[in-house]
Amino acid sequence: MRDMILAVCGKGGVGKTTVTAVAARELCRLKSTKALVVDADPGGGLEMALSIKPNKTLNDVRKELIEEVKEGKRDERDLAVSLDYLLAEALTEVGNLAFLSIGRPEDEGCYCKVNVLLKDAIAGLAGRFDVTVIDAEAGIEQVNRRVMGEVDYVLLVSDTSTKGIRVGETIKQVADRMVKGEGAGLLINRVLDERAVDLIKASTFLEVIGWIPEDDTIRRFDEEDKSFFDLPDCPAVVSIRNAFEKVGLV
Amino acid sequence: MGLFDEQLTEVKRFLSEARRAGGVREFRAFSTPAWPAESSLVLEEDTAIELGNPQTVSLSLLLWTGGHAVEDGLISLVGPDVGESGELSLPFAQVLMVRGSFEDEYESYQALRDAVYDTRLSGFMVRTRPSKHSLWCRVAREALEQGFSLRYLGAAFVKRLKEVPSASGVEVLFVTSSLDDVERLSGAAAEARRIIEAMMKMYEEKSFDCETCEYRDVCDGVMELKKIREKLAGEKAV
Ligand SMILES: Nc1ncnc2c1ncn2[C@@H]1O[C@H](COP(=O)(O)OP(=O)(O)OP(=O)(O)O)[C@@H](O)[C@H]1O
Ligand SMILES: [Mg+2]
Repeated sequence: MRDMILAVCGKGGVGKTTVTAVAARELCRLKSTKALVVDADPGGGLEMALSIKPNKTLNDVRKELIEEVKEGKRDERDLAVSLDYLLAEALTEVGNLAFLSIGRPEDEGCYCKVNVLLKDAIAGLAGRFDVTVIDAEAGIEQVNRRVMGEVDYVLLVSDTSTKGIRVGETIKQVADRMVKGEGAGLLINRVLDERAVDLIKASTFLEVIGWIPEDDTIRRFDEEDKSFFDLPDCPAVVSIRNAFEKVGLV
Repeated sequence: MGLFDEQLTEVKRFLSEARRAGGVREFRAFSTPAWPAESSLVLEEDTAIELGNPQTVSLSLLLWTGGHAVEDGLISLVGPDVGESGELSLPFAQVLMVRGSFEDEYESYQALRDAVYDTRLSGFMVRTRPSKHSLWCRVAREALEQGFSLRYLGAAFVKRLKEVPSASGVEVLFVTSSLDDVERLSGAAAEARRIIEAMMKMYEEKSFDCETCEYRDVCDGVMELKKIREKLAGEKAV
């Protein structure tokens, strides 16, 4: 599938960043696919998992644009063009992948025009790539504020806990209200016993698209601060890849 | 008299000096086949060469005039073309000079710059920072293999800009020879930018309090801006 924007969402700590990092690893192997990977979690973590150090974040871009507006530059087209330039500077490229980190917004202020331009520019940027994967902030806030704009697929990640599944369901309900006709599916992480998967399937309205076993290799890579690009085909990686194949990302 | 008389003179002086030094190649837009138009995403790994990336110097200049100093269809290149340099990156100046009858300077600016921004070529990606009059281009390896050169870019600008109703002729200059050469045009680029900003401010704010205006020096130096000011202030008074 082409031109897909997929957001990885779920409760805190369930494995969103892990799943996104493995997506990056898989996409990197598909040389002909141009992929944009967005770290939309201000708390970050994705860069660390992938050993990437962006020299500029989306928040820096926003600040620079606000400066231009403050200096009296108001022409929409010129600002939009500037924004493209600044966004290009904020991308960190690794082969066929480009990373964008949203950073931590400080000065909220009311710069509606800048925010609208930013949203358009990010949508435009994502549109130029074949696929976009977003590591979303935990919970429903970003989905609520439509930070990600047009998302084609919401990949809900949860551990086997009831709370994790309920958060996934809430996100799906919010997403349904916000965006029309999008797909969503549940990927269950850190499964120790396959029977837990059957129990979840019986208790949720979400479509379960796969499950990921608890995997020592993932834990070890995290502990030793190794790049997820170098992960071997361990059981977790294989099951995440299967899930992405199912939704058509890779 | 026009808004950019001084800048045009400077560019022409630059060109004639470069010509005397034997460093100018000339192409005709009208005998250049069209390069496929398409907006392209060119990633670093597919890039053959960058022009004016943020680590080097770049400059973009768009000048229009009612005078005759523009030679329609002429594309001049000072320095190596994209396929000739062994470098991965070159400094870059892009000067677009348009002649025509431009009644409303504000509308002219918008129409011309939109034409520039909308000029997209397959395998060529450009990012522009108008406030810093800088630009950053990437040429894809594939485009270079297919024979892309700056001549095609120049011809695309000529064609696109001449679609603006008030434009009757377009001349293009590209400079890739050295940081110094590009910087020799930076004064003109900065001044042209300020003239445009002063003009936009007049049209958008319709405030003519020159005592407090940050562009006062620009208006004092450019007759044409004073005329615009008088025209707009007159309209406002009516
Ligand atoms: N399948 C797995 N096997 C073993 N450990 C895992 C697995 N999935 C995730 N982990 C571990 O769980 C922890 C949390 O994972 P991760 O950071 O991906 O979650 P997150 O949803 O992004 O969290 P946050 O909401 O804080 O951003 C990490 O230490 C990670 O190594
Ligand atoms: Mg995370």
